[in-house]
Amino acid sequence: MASAPSGSRSNRAALTPAPGGSTTPVPPGTAVGSAAIWVFIFRRLLLGVLVLVLVSIVIFLATQALPGDTARAILGRTATPASLAALREQLHLNRPVIVQYFTWAGGLLHGDAGNSMAAQEPVTRLIADRIVNSAFLVLCAGLISIPFSVLIGAYAALWRDKAFDVVTSLSTLVLAALPEFVVGVTLVVLFATTVTHLLPAVSLIPPGTKPWEQPLALILPTLTLVIAVTPYVARIMRASMIEVLESDYVEMARLKGLSERLVIQRHALPNALGPTFQVIALNLAYLAGGVIVVEYVFNYAGIGGALRDAVSNRDLPVIQALAMLIAGLYVVLNLLADIATILVTPRLRTRL
Amino acid sequence: MEEKSSRQPLDLRARILTRREALIGAGVLAGGMTLAGVLAACGTTTSTTTTSGTPKRGGNFRLGVTGGGAKDIIDGQNIVTKPDQARLVAGFETLLVYDENYNLTTEGLAESVTQDDPKTWTIRLKQSITFHDGKALTADDVVYSLQRMLDPKQGLFGTGGLGSIDPNNLTKMDARTVRLNLKQADSTIGEQLGQYYNGIVPVGYTRAGTQNGTGPFKVQSFSPGQQSVHVRNPNYWRSGQPYFDQVTIIDFPDTQAQVNALLAGQLDAITDIPFAQVDVVKAHSGLAVLESPGGGWLPLCMAIDMDPFTDVRVRQAFRLMADRQAIVTQVLSGHGRIANDLYAPFDEGFASDLPQRQQDFAQAKSLLKAAGKDGMTVDLHTTDGAAGMVDVAKVFAQQATGAGITVNVKTDPNYYGDSYLKLAFSVDFWGTRNYLPQVANGSIPTAPYNECHWPPASSNYISLYQQALAEVDKTKRVALKHQMQQLEYDQGGYIIPFFNNLVDAYSTKVSGFITSKGTLNLDSFGHGFRTVWFA
Repeated sequence: MASAPSGSRSNRAALTPAPGGSTTPVPPGTAVGSAAIWVFIFRRLLLGVLVLVLVSIVIFLATQALPGDTARAILGRTATPASLAALREQLHLNRPVIVQYFTWAGGLLHGDAGNSMAAQEPVTRLIADRIVNSAFLVLCAGLISIPFSVLIGAYAALWRDKAFDVVTSLSTLVLAALPEFVVGVTLVVLFATTVTHLLPAVSLIPPGTKPWEQPLALILPTLTLVIAVTPYVARIMRASMIEVLESDYVEMARLKGLSERLVIQRHALPNALGPTFQVIALNLAYLAGGVIVVEYVFNYAGIGGALRDAVSNRDLPVIQALAMLIAGLYVVLNLLADIATILVTPRLRTRL
Repeated sequence: MEEKSSRQPLDLRARILTRREALIGAGVLAGGMTLAGVLAACGTTTSTTTTSGTPKRGGNFRLGVTGGGAKDIIDGQNIVTKPDQARLVAGFETLLVYDENYNLTTEGLAESVTQDDPKTWTIRLKQSITFHDGKALTADDVVYSLQRMLDPKQGLFGTGGLGSIDPNNLTKMDARTVRLNLKQADSTIGEQLGQYYNGIVPVGYTRAGTQNGTGPFKVQSFSPGQQSVHVRNPNYWRSGQPYFDQVTIIDFPDTQAQVNALLAGQLDAITDIPFAQVDVVKAHSGLAVLESPGGGWLPLCMAIDMDPFTDVRVRQAFRLMADRQAIVTQVLSGHGRIANDLYAPFDEGFASDLPQRQQDFAQAKSLLKAAGKDGMTVDLHTTDGAAGMVDVAKVFAQQATGAGITVNVKTDPNYYGDSYLKLAFSVDFWGTRNYLPQVANGSIPTAPYNECHWPPASSNYISLYQQALAEVDKTKRVALKHQMQQLEYDQGGYIIPFFNNLVDAYSTKVSGFITSKGTLNLDSFGHGFRTVWFA
């Protein structure tokens, strides 16, 4: 949960105005913290690598265990025993699973994710542009939705039970209940096909061009993702902000005569952001996966389309590479969220 | 579609579509769309739609096609996915061509293709046809193309159907004439050479090399799973054609996105609109639906040598349990015509005179009782291999309860990998074909996809087939085909409830699309995009 227990030592320390005008860290905390935080990051990185290794094993086993014969799936109904055998040989499908794993994992370390079985070209070439496309979409959605939802949540907490709070609470609740494809299809009906014809209904990004060259095509998918993410972040921000505003240290700051603006900026907001970062990280990671649905609705050429196609084709190298990519993203985003949480939470920082 | 080997991609697509429709609740039973054209659409047969005005030059025609993916290819003689069909016909042409009534014509590259005697065919090319690179089309290219089609290592569609041609016995008579000496009598060579995938390629052609055909458009760029751009062939041999400067073929994994793009004006035509969207598109000003009566079918296949279907009375009883009109309504949303357990409706010898089977529970029950199988339970195996394959099984199972039969529908995603062709009762899908080529594919022991294990050992079916293949005289050939169909009608293992329509949509800014009985959508994609233009 969000806020610190009242009266903890670090909170009091934070409330002591520092000579430089900063109300937060005490000098010893700073020195200890900066060294400690590197140790912490290093430890978390090691853990992250360990997690990725475990994830890679799980992914590999799970994909190997996919129902169906990969070679037959690729060759289709025209498969002959001879061509099946040849393809299995070419794809090492007839080697022991453990050998296949190390061949694959070793390749990944060299940036070689193997060849797509369906397209017969390197996975990296197949998905490179799509990664850029998806990343840009997620980036746009993140840059808009995070500040937007933090503001909404904070103001809703400040104006608790006022009209703004009631309206935003209700609408975020409703929007949170809507799956992305409903949001996406609704936006298409509103802005592209039926009600108005202001925006393109699908995002056709010709191969070889970059998504930012087609800004119009980005609007609806970005908006869909923003609507998908904002409710969660805004609601957790509101909840933790309310809790912080009711805490003893905020009360204390107010009693000391600090302006409400200072109270919020220096004391309330940073403490409320801690738990919010965790939710933001989870939502960004979710975006990386949830973008699949949005890409489907808008025919957006991203990793979602590649992943769906790969699953249909039982194209293991592509599935494995994309699953590793998304898993890696989760690990990195969680790490970043933890670091950010520590940086904005003096109590945690000084404890390192 | 026509080809069986396109099952895999279709299968993928159909599955995706099905899921998506369930998600958006658009889901009509029939759902679908279709890729394979198998279920595609619509109902009424009207004739010409928008052929009006003088064709005009110019513009970039944008086509949306479902069913593509990373497996997409461009090859003058093969396809893997549905958008591959559009890409093939834009750049490559065949010797003979089926017209909109599925009649074979000499509108293709050949001036004539004649069967001189049961085992000899002669191909005579038209004059002054050139490839994209300017090279003239000659007999050498035809010989090379046929040899490539017959090379089993290439894994091409046409290989099986042309099996009676001897690749080492193709004689170049002169620069425009080739003689084919067959290994065995075969009257279907002309029909095979009219299949869109048996394109003519220049000597030395490979898939990985330059795409060089005689067709109206040259490939400018191609990204599998995304799009291809084709530019006008300025030296095209038919004067005036094609009209578009450029054709862009865009892959869509989702038909809803495809329809949206059409509604928003981002596309000029799309294939296979979901039945649920037909009215939406029709109601939209500036859009039109092109519904063509296709020859695709989804049979329920009873293996005649497997229990309980070894008894012909059981097969007949099952055929009498189907309410075909209800199946058309529920599975195709009415976008199809009822069938009579016979295939190849556009064939010269289609036995349309045999009485239409109707649902008749009383007779079905008495046949089952006589066979000692009344009240039995049977598994019906199916998969999402093409739109409607699961639905048709479920609707039939429901109808069978009327005769006191319990049909358990078993949906197996790996159906085509493991158990296909080894099942007593299963669902399959087929595209438009004429009778004898279809028999070669599905109704004789040497056929690659003989689901029903037809014919019975005691039958003279195979001998009739061989006589029909060797018969040069049309009247006699038709009589032989009729005898074969009579055997299948009386004893066969297929329950064929319907032929589906193809339902496509296009912007009324485009002129020239007509309804067609051909295999491919949009009147064979406007004959490779050469007979359509922006009005």
